[in-house]
Amino acid sequence: MFDLLLAGIENVLHLKYLVPLFLGTLVGLIGGALPGVTITMTIIIVLPFTFGLDPLQGLATMTGVYVGGSAGGAITAALIGIPGTPSAITTTFDGFPMTQKGQPGRAIWLGIWSSCFGGLLAGIFLIGATGPLAAIALEFGPWEYFSLFVFALSMVAGLTEGSLLKGLLAGVIGLAITIVGSDPIMSVPRFTLGTEFLRNGFPFLPVLIGIFAFAQLMTDIEKMKGSEHAAAPIKAPPLTVSHLSVLWEIFSRPFLLAWSTLVGILIGVLPAIGGSAATVMAYDQAKKFSKHPERFGKGNPEGIIASEASCNANVGGSLVTIMAFGIPGDAVTAVMLGAMTIHGIQSGPLFVSQHPQIAYGIYAAYLLAHPLMVLICAFGARLFLRVVTVPKSMLIPNVLVLCVIGAFALNNIMEDVVVLLLFGLVGYALVKARFPLAPLILGLILGDQIEVNLLRAIMSDANPWLFITRPISGFLLALSVASVLFALWQHRRQKGRTREVDQEPDF
Amino acid sequence: MKVLTAAVAGLALFTFANVQAAYPDRPIKMIVPWAAGGDTDNIFRPFAPALQKALGGTTVVIANIGGASGTVGAREAKGSPADGYTLYAVHDYIHLTYYTGMSDVSYADFEPVCLIAATPSILTASPKTKWNTMKEMVADAKANPGQISVGATLGSTSHFFPAMVEKAAGIKFKYISYDGLAQRMNAILGGHIDLTDGNLTQKGKVDAAQLKFLAIATEKRSPELPNVPTLKELGYNVIYSVSRGLLAPKGTPADVLSKLEGACGQAAKDPTFAESMRKQGTDVHYLDHKGYAEFLKQNDALNKDLSRDLGLLKR
Amino acid sequence: MTRDGIAGLICLALAIGMLVLTRGLPQSSFVPLGPDFYPRIVLVIMAVLSALLIAADLWQRRAGAALAAASAEPAAERRNYRLVGITFAVFAGYVILLPFVGYRVATFIFVAALQSAFDPPRGARRWAMVLISALASAAITFIVFQHYLSVLLPRGKWTDW
Repeated sequence: MFDLLLAGIENVLHLKYLVPLFLGTLVGLIGGALPGVTITMTIIIVLPFTFGLDPLQGLATMTGVYVGGSAGGAITAALIGIPGTPSAITTTFDGFPMTQKGQPGRAIWLGIWSSCFGGLLAGIFLIGATGPLAAIALEFGPWEYFSLFVFALSMVAGLTEGSLLKGLLAGVIGLAITIVGSDPIMSVPRFTLGTEFLRNGFPFLPVLIGIFAFAQLMTDIEKMKGSEHAAAPIKAPPLTVSHLSVLWEIFSRPFLLAWSTLVGILIGVLPAIGGSAATVMAYDQAKKFSKHPERFGKGNPEGIIASEASCNANVGGSLVTIMAFGIPGDAVTAVMLGAMTIHGIQSGPLFVSQHPQIAYGIYAAYLLAHPLMVLICAFGARLFLRVVTVPKSMLIPNVLVLCVIGAFALNNIMEDVVVLLLFGLVGYALVKARFPLAPLILGLILGDQIEVNLLRAIMSDANPWLFITRPISGFLLALSVASVLFALWQHRRQKGRTREVDQEPDF
Repeated sequence: MKVLTAAVAGLALFTFANVQAAYPDRPIKMIVPWAAGGDTDNIFRPFAPALQKALGGTTVVIANIGGASGTVGAREAKGSPADGYTLYAVHDYIHLTYYTGMSDVSYADFEPVCLIAATPSILTASPKTKWNTMKEMVADAKANPGQISVGATLGSTSHFFPAMVEKAAGIKFKYISYDGLAQRMNAILGGHIDLTDGNLTQKGKVDAAQLKFLAIATEKRSPELPNVPTLKELGYNVIYSVSRGLLAPKGTPADVLSKLEGACGQAAKDPTFAESMRKQGTDVHYLDHKGYAEFLKQNDALNKDLSRDLGLLKR
Repeated sequence: MTRDGIAGLICLALAIGMLVLTRGLPQSSFVPLGPDFYPRIVLVIMAVLSALLIAADLWQRRAGAALAAASAEPAAERRNYRLVGITFAVFAGYVILLPFVGYRVATFIFVAALQSAFDPPRGARRWAMVLISALASAAITFIVFQHYLSVLLPRGKWTDW
């Protein structure tokens, strides 16, 4: 395994792979730093560029974007107090106060170095755990997969902010979108109203791009004021800092770093709970364990370390799930998986053993993306702040063009672009009706798989009790019920304390 | 200023790239009606660069239009303009999905370009099954009719091959839907299905004792697998292979077709392509426009009979 | 009724409408459960959840009519819904044009139109900027994708370009 990894690193160090990885990390950092452009959005934008590359080049690019994006959020969070991505929200809590105290360099580099170490530690887990987990995944029959998907859905619906009912409904809407079109087994047209257009159903990536891109861009457009010119470029304060002292600040708290990383990994491995849950949870835990919880929110380095380490560790965890199970945990990994499929790679239990070169190439790309990210930040952190102020009126049309290319180029059919528009409208309507998007996307991702595995299970054995009597399957179903009950209890408890607010959609 | 220069340079490229020239003057799209990574994709992916070379460098782009047993891509190919810029990578499923009523697209909606490859089917068993030979499997099937599970893309070749075995041996299987070879491999390695239609691409797993090849559906034993008996020598008269070729939409001009046919013939001889086919246990089996037209006609009749025999004929 | 109630009603209507459509789907001899089995489960759950959402909405309304008045949305910043409408319209125009005039022409028109909608250009200089940047977007993406990345882009039926 170790020599495979070394070979992978050596392979990725070739310019052929290093350049895409570098560019991916750079674009990821910029996308992550741009407020209003999430990691998912950045990946959607980069996706069409990877279609023409060879598989490892494409995946190295995407891995770079993912890693860079998770770290990039820290830059804007620490320097201007706006999270570049939703998962960086907890970094603003302590990063921005630190900047205000006149230590912007310390704030941003605490963030970057913590991201780097959190990510690298998670890399060890990624490389060590994927194989054993894949072996377990192979033992999963249709019953277990079905129950796993149901568990993932119920957990996400339960975790959403706001109403549990709407979270569940959003998940079911996602499932309902997938039942339109030819049925996955015998290709019987369903709900097509006799039209050829609906026969193919709603292909998953155009729907995903439509819902995400429009939900987000339109929310930005709403806030535009007729003619608005770019805000004057924000003057970046000098970011000089003693890296040694920052590193000491991180390593003198080994427990904090390890624990935050662990939280990030675990949330990442669990399907469908995104980066923001990881950072919020890690921040919360750091505060609970701290001897001085009152210092949090006032520029405490511990807050930044917890938030950023867990954020990048989450990436490593998510990669494990798609590589071992072949199931995307969230929207970001779903698009990553789309990219893999385009390159002729079927991820799943056999992926690592069948395509060791690519699997270890991805590991290597993941590991190398972290130092690259630090390097890019060392030279470019100040420049990013200028990019952040590109006028939205220029940015949005071009992002939409890239969305069209991404939707079209996947299958080369115009219908997919129409689907993109249609679900752009749906996505915007759902945001306006304050439906959480995470469960919907998960329903969308898992819909076909749930149906196929349900039917497979029954085709294999007509006994429906097997879903409960097979131990893993039964356990997962019990967990699903428990997670909904727990959410119900928690919502009841919190009722009255929090009111629904018109918050930004959290992707 | 830099932006302006770039824009002007871009504009120049933009307009000059469009000077009318003889076919082919722009990229050609090759529709593969299955997901990337499947066996059809694996055969046409190395073929595309060879074809590209033979066409004097014109880019050949693979468009994977998968879904619903390959019928989505078939419909898309049928509706594409007949100008030689859309090709359709097909295999025997086109006859089956037509006769089983899953799709309205038939081979007759296209112009044949060339046949390139044939992959013989191998009856493949899970490592968790207790039998090691075809004979033991048949005996078990006779003792427990309808208990042995077979993973298959229903209504397609991987369904027909086991169905032919079923009929020849007088046994009964239970079919479970697993679209595509990649998914079937996950299921069979985990023991969730007992049997499936495999091919030589899986030889590595057999050598590693992760899979068992029971019998191959060829006339003679394969030189790559001298120890695997043919179904014929075991007394079951089943010869089955999946043939893959290229079609173009009906109405494609004759000069374009002949150009494509020539390039296809050249590409089929390409040593790199041949090497990658050998690795995948596939015979390069080239037939030109005329030969392929004849082959398709015979194959269509054969598949119609097959569908009728197996009780799947819907038209 | 509030947004929740309306959303619930729409979902309920959709679920019931789709449930009606599941009738008469052909059954297959290989699959023990027809193609209508799973959709029905999903749609019934969807209908139940939507009904619950409507009920919760009505119940809350009755329980807290007075409270609702107080908790009316905070006077949030004015939202520019007109611009959202225009964006959707321009994008729809783009999607309709694409198959007829091809990627290059349609993209040029789209980027120019949307940019001028967001930031209405005044004076020849700003118009020139908009046109040049639209041209650059169309040309650069086309060249990068079609020539370097072998990604096919839509061609126009009318223009064959």
